[in-house]
Amino acid sequence: MDLSLESPLGASGEGDQPGRMAGRPLEEWNAAYAKVESYFHALRVRNKVLLGRLVIHVLKRAMRRAPQEPQRSATELAAEEMDHLVSEWFAQVLQEPPTGTDQMLSTRGRLALLLADMPGKWQDQFLRPGPWPEEFVSAMRKTYIQAGPDFQLSKMALRPLHFGPITTLTNLARLPYAKMVGAWTVFALILAVLFFITHH
Amino acid sequence: MTSVAPEPLRAQATAAPVSIWPAPMSPRSRGLRVFYFYSSAVLLTGLVSLIFADLLWRTGWSTSRTVLFILFVLLFLFSAIGCMHGVYGFVLRMLGDQRRITRLADYRSRSLDGTSTALVCPIHNEDVVRVYEGLRITYESLEKTGQLGRFDFFILSDSTDPDRWVEEERRWYDLIRELGALGRIYYRRRVTNEGKKSGNIRDFLNTWGRRYRYFIVLDADSIMRGETVVDLVKLMEANPDVGLIQTVPALVNAESLFGRIQQFANRLYAPIFIAGLNYWAQGFGNYWGHNAIIRTDPFMQYCELPHLPGRKPFGGQILSHDFVEAALLLRENWQIWFAYDLEGSYEEAPQGLIENAQRDRRWCQGNLQHGLVLFVRGLRDMSRLHLLQGIFGYLASPCWLLFLLTFNWMWGFQKYTRLSDIATPGFTPYLHLSPTQHAFLIFVICMCVLFLPKVLALIDLAFDRQRRRSFGGLAKTAVSTVGETIFSTLHAPMQMLWHSRFVVTILLGMGVNWGPQKRSADGTSWGYAFRRHWGHTLTGLVWGGVIWGLDPRTFWWFVPVFAGMVLSIPVSVLTSRSSLGARSRALGLFLTPEELSPPPELDTLRVRLATMSGAGETGERAKDSGLAEIVVDPYVNAIHVSLLREKKYNPEHAEALAKLGAGRPEVRELGEKLLAQGPDALKPEEKFLVMSDADTMSWLHRQIWLRSGETLATWWQAAIRQLAAR
Repeated sequence: MDLSLESPLGASGEGDQPGRMAGRPLEEWNAAYAKVESYFHALRVRNKVLLGRLVIHVLKRAMRRAPQEPQRSATELAAEEMDHLVSEWFAQVLQEPPTGTDQMLSTRGRLALLLADMPGKWQDQFLRPGPWPEEFVSAMRKTYIQAGPDFQLSKMALRPLHFGPITTLTNLARLPYAKMVGAWTVFALILAVLFFITHH
Repeated sequence: MTSVAPEPLRAQATAAPVSIWPAPMSPRSRGLRVFYFYSSAVLLTGLVSLIFADLLWRTGWSTSRTVLFILFVLLFLFSAIGCMHGVYGFVLRMLGDQRRITRLADYRSRSLDGTSTALVCPIHNEDVVRVYEGLRITYESLEKTGQLGRFDFFILSDSTDPDRWVEEERRWYDLIRELGALGRIYYRRRVTNEGKKSGNIRDFLNTWGRRYRYFIVLDADSIMRGETVVDLVKLMEANPDVGLIQTVPALVNAESLFGRIQQFANRLYAPIFIAGLNYWAQGFGNYWGHNAIIRTDPFMQYCELPHLPGRKPFGGQILSHDFVEAALLLRENWQIWFAYDLEGSYEEAPQGLIENAQRDRRWCQGNLQHGLVLFVRGLRDMSRLHLLQGIFGYLASPCWLLFLLTFNWMWGFQKYTRLSDIATPGFTPYLHLSPTQHAFLIFVICMCVLFLPKVLALIDLAFDRQRRRSFGGLAKTAVSTVGETIFSTLHAPMQMLWHSRFVVTILLGMGVNWGPQKRSADGTSWGYAFRRHWGHTLTGLVWGGVIWGLDPRTFWWFVPVFAGMVLSIPVSVLTSRSSLGARSRALGLFLTPEELSPPPELDTLRVRLATMSGAGETGERAKDSGLAEIVVDPYVNAIHVSLLREKKYNPEHAEALAKLGAGRPEVRELGEKLLAQGPDALKPEEKFLVMSDADTMSWLHRQIWLRSGETLATWWQAAIRQLAAR
């Protein structure tokens, strides 16, 4: 990967009319720049020099494609190049085969970046071609995240509870006429209480 | 070791040396303890009931008097049992109680070699920052003991709020990174929260339980000192017949006036009450659901909870599982002890009356359900005693309400009919009491029974210089006790009305949904308090008015009852305020040992929470902020997707995901809709489904960064800008 700061966009910009770059208006590339920068920023690449170099590297790749794909916006091209670049780099560092659109590699790679503390310790290694420091490679390849230790699946033994005659009572409520009879009984009791109170 | 509470001075003087371990207690001696304890309560109840019956008889027995008498006996018996806990506990603390788990065997010399213990923290839509900071404190404290390698921590989430879910995952990663605890603190979220808290624990046991000899259950607000955790494991190792040890958590960190009063009462009264409880319970103790260590194997073997027969409120899933699990362990001859002298076990209390009542509502339903569990064959009678007391803790309120109403009915009936109240001498003529004096005597006895434990707790404090100082001195504690008594007098009638309503609505199978509490910047807002308490105020005004109309002299006897009801709104609002909590603290009221000399764990927690609050990390977050983070942020997305993908290795979780619909083509369509129209276009359950599908989440992350802005909803463009601006 070319990360030199000298004339990074020169080759792609040759022959453009004023206000255009690689056949697209400058505003389009500005939007593409913002998108790519946002993604690297989201990956916590905070060093402005590194950030600028990475963004420009991605844009250069997008500009090379731009003349062949006039129907696609600069932002789309840049985002796609960014995606390819990052996936290829993950495949190299993690020694995994590049898997196209399969997101397994991307997820694993991002997780590895986080667990290896790329934003804190290894910003300068991100997207850099190998060889990388052994410690960095080891941190990237060994780290994985788990919700828990290895499963030891089992099943708690269910022992039914025996309630004796009380279950008859709970089942009574299921009888179709139990509620009606119950309501009549309550009504009769109310009448009895009323009579008792008024005649006592 | 510093985690065992020192003996009171007098007890130290008379206690046997620690190295002499008491011989195991015979079943007969244990039975005698239960007999003595409950006989004391029954004896007291019998004598006072006799005097009460005599009073009723003197003024002419009637049906309403029979009802009144039955209610009196029930209520007095319950109060007498409470009083006896205080009396027995006080005497034991004075004499030195050797029959407690920390005195039964030499546990301190035990090694933790070969042990493995999981600390599990089940959570459900909790304040993530508070939960994790509490865990951090326990972790760091355990690390200082040098025994961390024997423990694993599990955050067991059942959260259903998508934003909380994402926050839990993100902060979990922050926690393990900051503590270097990858592979030591785990986070697992269930796909469905079947079986609620007990189902959550069971899911953990079925997945990882066999790896651990013991597990310690923490509540969302629990904090445990490392030494205490280690002591619990050692106690289990030293007592192989013990299946569960329950610590007695101290209430801490209260800021509102209500919280501080509850905290003060807990710290002052609990020692004598629990000592009394331990006197009769011994190895037949109980489980309170958290801050307890459990032997995994017997728990897994005997404590799976079946659904109860019949329909709600008694049938169905067992809600208050802890009491039942304890009963099932005891049934299989495993012992359960209260380690009430182990310090360093903490929890927090609700900060207002309404929050307290909301918690009571849940507990009430669970405890009433125990009415059916009482009949399970083979349970120990001691378990039935625990269950009965739990049930009556809530049934007492409607009984009291009925008692007051019956009395008022009798009074009103007499006034209305203009019947004379000429009293006959009865069988206590030698007392030379008029009916009013007779009633007053019973009233005084009742007050003594209610307040004696408080007085004994104060005397207990007076004899212990170190403890006395830790409460800020005897005088301040005495004044605080008076204040606490006044407050609980105002609180009791409200609780009576609330609990009565809970019992009735639960028995009728009706739910009570209060919705989320609208708290103002400092406690309960006036509007919310009005909505929750207007019924209490109205009841107090109408009831008081009727009594005044009948007999102004009688009215004054009922003022404590009516005052609590009529003043419920201001009492609820004012006691929920932190400012009044701080004012009372400045005045030296309701001080607790943890306030005056905070243990390092609590001090660190307070500082950390204050720092995080200052940094704006603890406030409410915007709706769908979690969804934005999980889709846009490359790292949060990677954590989330990795945790989701891991679920497929657990057959139960994989089945639950499939049942939910994860992996179906429709989920991708929902994802497209989400990208094009933003989160408002999806129903909550659809968002949940999308968030539960690993492939879709991964795809969404890629699409959000690949697509040009105009093909995304403006909501997403704002989310990207927000992330880039961080």
